[in-house]
This record gives sequence, C-alpha cells and structure tokens, in this order.
Amino acid sequence: MQPDDPSLKRMTPPKLNILEKTYLPQILGGLAVTGRHIFGAAIGGKTFTEQYPEEQHIPSANYRGVHRLNKDENGRIKCVACMLCATACPAHCIDIVGATAPDTWDDREKYPENFVIDELRCIYCGMCEEACPVDAIELTGLYDLTGLSREEMIFDKTKLLSVFDLTKSVEPMKTARTSATPGESSSTHELVTKPTDGPSMRAHS
Amino acid sequence: MATIIINGTEHTLPEGEKLNAIQAAKLFGHEIPYYCWHPALSVVANCRMCEIEVGSKDPKTGEIKMVPKLVPGCQTPAKDGTVLVTDSEKVSVHQKMIMEYLLINHPLDCPVCDQAGQCGLQDYSYEYGQAAHRFVEERIVNPRKDVSDAIQLNQDRCIMCTRCVRFTREITGSGELNVINRGNHAEIDIFPGQPLDNPLAGNVVDLCPVGALLDKDFLHKQRFWFLSKHDSICTRCSTGCNIAAEENRGQLWRFRARYNPKVNDYWICDEGRSSYKSANEPNLLSAMFARGVAGGGLTQVGVEQATTLAREGLQRMAREGGAIAGILSPFLTVEEAYVMSAYLKGISSSAVLALGPIPSMGSDQTFTPDKIAGRNGDTSFLVPRPFTIHAEKCPNRMGVEAILSHFQGEVIDYAAISARVASGEFRALFVASDAIDPAYMEDDAAKLRRSDFLVVMDTTVTPLARLADVVLAGATFAEKAGSYVNFQGRLQYSEAALPPRDGSLPDLDLLAILSGKGTAPIHSRTILAEVATVVPAFSIVTEGKVPEFGVIIGGTPEPATVGAFPYTDPWLTPRGDHPTESGPNGRKQP
Repeated sequence: MQPDDPSLKRMTPPKLNILEKTYLPQILGGLAVTGRHIFGAAIGGKTFTEQYPEEQHIPSANYRGVHRLNKDENGRIKCVACMLCATACPAHCIDIVGATAPDTWDDREKYPENFVIDELRCIYCGMCEEACPVDAIELTGLYDLTGLSREEMIFDKTKLLSVFDLTKSVEPMKTARTSATPGESSSTHELVTKPTDGPSMRAHS
Repeated sequence: MATIIINGTEHTLPEGEKLNAIQAAKLFGHEIPYYCWHPALSVVANCRMCEIEVGSKDPKTGEIKMVPKLVPGCQTPAKDGTVLVTDSEKVSVHQKMIMEYLLINHPLDCPVCDQAGQCGLQDYSYEYGQAAHRFVEERIVNPRKDVSDAIQLNQDRCIMCTRCVRFTREITGSGELNVINRGNHAEIDIFPGQPLDNPLAGNVVDLCPVGALLDKDFLHKQRFWFLSKHDSICTRCSTGCNIAAEENRGQLWRFRARYNPKVNDYWICDEGRSSYKSANEPNLLSAMFARGVAGGGLTQVGVEQATTLAREGLQRMAREGGAIAGILSPFLTVEEAYVMSAYLKGISSSAVLALGPIPSMGSDQTFTPDKIAGRNGDTSFLVPRPFTIHAEKCPNRMGVEAILSHFQGEVIDYAAISARVASGEFRALFVASDAIDPAYMEDDAAKLRRSDFLVVMDTTVTPLARLADVVLAGATFAEKAGSYVNFQGRLQYSEAALPPRDGSLPDLDLLAILSGKGTAPIHSRTILAEVATVVPAFSIVTEGKVPEFGVIIGGTPEPATVGAFPYTDPWLTPRGDHPTESGPNGRKQP
C-alpha cells in the first residue's frame, strides 16, 4: 500500500490541556489501582495468586491442553486418517500414516496406522479439533505436561489413546458433552489433582 | 471465418479444428461442467451435466433461434453461427438438479476418499450444486469390490459416467468393464474371472471423475493436496510418456498421465505407472566410494575427495599416454551425455565414447483405437491416436546417440566397446549408468575391470561398482532434470521430482565438478542452450527451452497437430480462490 493511498485514514492525536500535560492525573490513577490491590490483598483478603502446586489450577471448560484420540463405543480409534487435522495444523506437528482398515471394521474404510503429535511443536491452537470431521481428536484440560527429553514429548497413537482413557470420565467427548449437564467441566479438578497424573503420562512412553 | 456466440459475445473459432461446445467455451474462458465426456472417448451424453441452451444465428437475417430444450454441450458442434448460453437461470437450475441427482446415493465419505481435493463431485457441488439435500429415503449402498489385483472399485461413489467402460472398449479394445443391472441399481463390474488386467488398465483410475476407481498401490496413503506435482517424462521405455510425478516428504507416491497428443495422448502404461517405486528404493547408492584411500578395498569418501580422485586418476592416465574410454548410458539426459562427452574429449582428444547396454524386454505393443471399433456413441469430435509401449526400456537412446555422433562421428555399441576394454586397449574407463534395473552384471564387470583405472557413476550397487576405483553416486530418473529424446526423435524436458538423496549429487553437477566448472549447481537449461549452439542436431532448441509437447530434433518443424489444445479435466486443475465476485464461469457466486 502506498502512503498516498486514498483508503488510508489519517488520524491526529487529541490536544492535551494544561493538567493533562503534567501527566499527574494518569499517574495518580495508576497508583490508586496498585494501592487498591495491595490493601485488598493485605487487609481485604482478596488475593489473586493461586498456590500452585499445593492448590491445583482448574482450567476453564474450553481450555486447550494435551491432545487425546477418542475411541468409539467398540474401543476402536475413532480417527479415519483423513489428515484434515494435519492439513489445518499451522505448526505442522501432526504426522499420520493412513492405511486401509481391517476387514472386520465394516463401517470404516481407512484408519491411522500411526498418529504422532509433537507436543513441543504444537501451539495448542485447537485447529485440529475444529477440522476433525469425526470428532476423533480433542484437546483436554491437561496443562501440566512435562517430560525429561524431546523424544518423550512426541506422542504416538498409543499414548494419545491413553490420554483418552485417562480423561474420558471427567471430560466426555465433545459430541456427548453438548447434551451433558452444565458444570460437569469443573470435575477436571479431580483429574489434575490425582497425584499420578504427570508421571503416568510419562509412564506410557 | 467461423464465429460462435457464447453468452452474447462473438468469438472466432480456430481454423481446421473440430470442437464441441465444451471445448469451444473453454477456449474462450467459459466453463461448461461435464463428467462423462472425454476428448478421447466417444460421446454418450449420459451424465447430463453439460446441458446448456443452444441456438443458431441465421447468417442472412441475423435472427437467433434457440432450441426449446437444454442440449448436452458435449454433443453440440461448435460451428459458424452456433449460439451457446451457459450462464442463464435455466442452465443453472438444471445444473443444481443434476448435482442433487448424482449425489442421491453418494456416501459423502470425502474424509476417507482418495479423490478428495481433485474430485469432480466436490468441485461442481461447490460451483454449481446446492448445499441442501432433499432425499430422505435410505441410500443404496453398493459394497466396494476389486476389479483387478491393482484396482479397487467403490461402487457407492460411482456416478455411472461410463468413462472406464468406454476406455476398455474403445482404447484398449479389451472390454473388461461393463455396466450390470439397470436404473438405480446399475453398477460397473467385470465378467466373472476376467479381471481388468490389460497393460493400460491403470488409466481408468485417472479417468474416473470421482473416487470410485482407486489404485490400490496408492490407496489411503496420501492426501492429494499434500502432493507436489512435477512435469516429468517416464523413463521406463523409449515412448517417453509425459507424466506428473507426485512427491511428498522426499518420496514419490505415484505417476499420473499428462496429456501430450504427439506422444502418449492421455495415457500411460501400468509398467510406467508403477516405475516410480524404483526411485524410493532404500538401497540406492547412498555415498561416494574410492579404492586405496585406506587399505585396499572401497572406502566411503566425500564428494570432493571422490571427484578429485576420479579427475586426477583420469588425467594421470591421459598424461601417461594411456587410452581413455567412456561408456555412456541411454538413461543419461541429453545434457549429461553432452557434458560427459565434452569432458572426456577435453582430457584426451583420442578418448573413445561408447553407448552402454540398451535394455530390451518383450516386443513393442501398440494400441490403435479408431473411430469405429468398440465405439457406440457419437465419434465425430474424436481424433484417435495410437499408443505404443516400446520394448526398448530406456528413455534416451536417440539423444545420447545424437551427442555421440557429434563428438566422434559414429556410435560404438556396447558389444564392441566391452570387447575392446576386455582386450586391455584402455588404461582408464569412465562408466555412467543410472539404469533403473542394474545394467552391469558379473560378466560385464569382469570385462570392464581390465582397465587400470575405473570410474563408475551409478545409482544402484552393481557388481561393476564393487570392482571400481571410484564410485560416484548419481541421480535417479526422479532426482534429475534434463531432456530426453524419445523413439520419434522428440526432445522432451523432464523436471526433477525429488531432491538429490543424501550422499549423492545429480550427474550433471558431478560432471561439472569433474570438468572443473566449480561446485555451484548447474541448470540443465543452461547446458541445453549450449548443446543447441554446439551440436547441430539440437539447433532447433532456443534458449534451452523445450516446447510443451516437445520438439523433433534434427528435422524440419512438424505440422500442427489437430486437437492439440492442452487438456486436463477441470477437477484435476487447481480451482484457486475467486478474486472477484464473479466466478470462472462469469456467474455470481452464491
């Protein structure tokens, strides 16, 4: 775009009066906010700090944490390896190897032979979840994802399916959740306060 | 001068071409959607997608008379005074209706369908169809079945355009496929125990406008939009079929036919189609080797060391007055053959250049479709062209021979040169191969080893490479760009589809380093431009650019071919986004 482009809108900053030119009202206003928080925390008991990890943080229902691969009612992976999540992924962290489904799966023609997400490369934008036509991939409320090496942060199909087993009781599949009673998502708390959560994630690797 | 009126605008039709309304409209930038029509197959007009308003203009009075009903565009000749309306309300309502009808029993399994992204149903549904589906009854479910070991038919996706049936009847003449049952229950099928196994069978997969016929070799492996397409030439035989080599993540996934009316028309053979696999072989030569660097055997060395050893070895032999020979390969491109010949002649003007073994298998097989045999539809627009699978299983014998005859006036064949090498005539020998199937076996290796210094440039580990003094890892057919001369003497340009694999360099770069031209990558077009100025046979090439359909070398310019408009089915070409509010057919988008 050129500087003389007619669609450009020229703006001029508003003129300040003498009091505003001293900047004092703004400084005092800012100090008032700071003071309110200091006294609020010291006297009023209004603290905003969460005592993590002694107190566990409860993420909101639409929090985007570690991925999981959902299973259908027969325990089979729901994913059909359409690779739309890999296509939508802006970080290119999803790698799927598609294959023809076993003959015994009469409702399915294709399934993922392997499904790998690099959790370190992922930016947790949730585009994979949006793109999925069969609601097979979902982002859970698990946020305390840690690991000792880069390799163990690359989650394969088995591990992603185990995240589903780990979280299915407290976070039902989104398709099911629409009909679920509101407030259910608060139960994420139980999940993340379970002492074995972090290590159990690693134990699957 | 014939003029045609399309959507109110007059256009002048090209002389001598017999076009139908679809082709004429496309020529002037209007799209008429179609499924069943194909320029090489007879017109059956059974998909009804291309129906448009047709009329004629009275040449005397200038009065335009329209046909009261819609007419299939594939059957309508574009002649003087023809009036076509492709964008009226009537046409658009009809297209919506046809789309709804074709999708009645469609399973809508685009996520698992290999055709998704290059599907006629997807494209036209978006462009001409409607989002709502009024059919509430249970859909007919036809199970998937195998029509051969290599091809699967998902009948529920089929729209009964019968392109595949017409292909087997009209082009290959084998007629394996047919339509069974009637009406809503119609299916494509084979006769019991007679699979679709003719040498061109794979083309039905390319022909299918939807995802019904599928190549089992490619099935469920990749999504179409991940693949980058490279305009290449098939190197499996001397026909030189034009192909699109589809690559993703440093691997070839399939070959598809690319239209060239002068060589392969719309087809490629199954042998060529599956030849992509040899570029993905895990045991290709993956490093350069040299003998005597450490101990007696071959040791892995870097590119620099390998090329230096090869160059110094050849130069030393030449300095000492020893005779030098080079054996070129019919798998080399014209450019590589030229640089190699110039290099060896530069070291020693008495260097002997020869052509390596020409692989051959079976005999030539020609399919000659004509306007009558097997056809039962309208054939008036057809230009039948033969298709030959050659027994000579190499892409560039003619090109290398042209280069060799320029440098030494004659072409020495492999039998002669191997006898001369075996007699101990040459002190140094440079063998370039790049053959898909290893060309030099034990007995060849024993003969060629009679030279004191042996340099081998190849892609596979052959018995000859094991005996060589320096082994240079060259490029496979997929890794190199360059030109090939096919059986007609037609020079065609092939793009590289893959980057050089680890440890190797394209032959052209290796030869450039050997000839001391520096280590910067060399463009084949630069070399081809040089070849055109130096070798008279190639003088027809200007600025290193080869025309789209290739050019006959050393001859006179050939006459224009009738019906030689570039052709691809619209669902195979990228649709792009619409920069303006009017779509490619000039109609406002919903």
